[in-house]
Amino acid sequence: MGYLRLAHSSSSTPTPESACLAAFDADLDYIFATLHRLGAAHHEVEDLAQEIFVVLLRHWDTLDTSRPLRPYLFGIAFRILSAHRRKRSWEIPCAQIDIESSTTSPENSLQSKQSIAVLRAALEQLPISRRAVVIMHDLDEIPIADIAKNLSITRFGAYARLRKGRMELASAVRRVSRGDH
Amino acid sequence: MERREMNTDTELQWILDEGKKIHPVSDIVRARSLSRARAAIATTAAASRTSSPTMGRRWLSVGVAASVAFVLGAAAWATVQRLQAPAPVSSIAIPHVDPPASTLDPETPIPPLPEAPPAPPVVKAHPARHSLSPQESYTAETKLLSRAQRAYLAKHFSITLSLVAEHGRKFPNGRLAEEREALRIQALSGAGRTEESRSAAASFARRFPRSVLLPRLGAATP
Repeated sequence: MGYLRLAHSSSSTPTPESACLAAFDADLDYIFATLHRLGAAHHEVEDLAQEIFVVLLRHWDTLDTSRPLRPYLFGIAFRILSAHRRKRSWEIPCAQIDIESSTTSPENSLQSKQSIAVLRAALEQLPISRRAVVIMHDLDEIPIADIAKNLSITRFGAYARLRKGRMELASAVRRVSRGDH
Repeated sequence: MERREMNTDTELQWILDEGKKIHPVSDIVRARSLSRARAAIATTAAASRTSSPTMGRRWLSVGVAASVAFVLGAAAWATVQRLQAPAPVSSIAIPHVDPPASTLDPETPIPPLPEAPPAPPVVKAHPARHSLSPQESYTAETKLLSRAQRAYLAKHFSITLSLVAEHGRKFPNGRLAEEREALRIQALSGAGRTEESRSAAASFARRFPRSVLLPRLGAATP
């Protein structure tokens, strides 16, 4: 554990590494939530978060830190998860979608958990390219220009995906709510 | 029909609103993630030290060659000096052969030893497990502590404590030592061993004064 303390107190001026670590720490909740929303299985999320950190660290020096970090983090998460899916060809069946037990807290009502489960199950039914745009726009409230930039698509493409993704999501929510997913 | 659509839209909006909420990850998971991130920083730093780009490698080669030449030259010079020097007091002409390093003149600056890389805390942390790579060791640690955490969540505090003790024996200074100690305190508290829990919490605070787990432990040990 000694190295942990050293990493904390090595210097008074933050190094790029410590700044990157602080940013990762600040947005860790968001990273985990994003990975879950994108359909990562619970047991994969920590490893995927680490991969995100490694990419973030590698690009930290060239990153414009004056801009919001979340769209960028989402872009990394999206690419990492897509690559994993291509490599492993895993698709998570709806029945296996799990709500992270560690996030359970008294304030999370049963209804809230159910709605999150419905949302995740519905999102699972969207192709990942449209799912990403819907999550970024409708859940993370990221402007379409940033979405397009971070997913390396045109604005027109982003709008098209959003429009189609929303319709698919509405249908998927209805299906999941009825129980015929 | 219109009413049905409105209800569906409302329901969808409510679901989306719920989906916007970002729940915090648990302290244990956070600490573990940050610990892994720090290890990644250390590994990256070590890798950048050992494998530099071509230009750096070229300079490294030049440096090594210069160091070797310097050491050999110094050794040769020292040997010549020694051979030219008057015989020792014993006057018995026994050729004095030293190992190369000790033939250096005391004045000769000794090239500094390569600094021990600070990166592999894992290697340092598990001296008894030379056969395990850092990643394997970490995986083993994680598995063991996950079992302990599951036992804790199931309120099997004695099992938690025994698994935590096993982790302590196998990885006394492991990368998850902080999480292990936190879990031990929580398990002690859960088992009603309040005094032990308080004492363990106090020593935890001394050992890990900056731990993100401290607030939670403070709540667990009133």
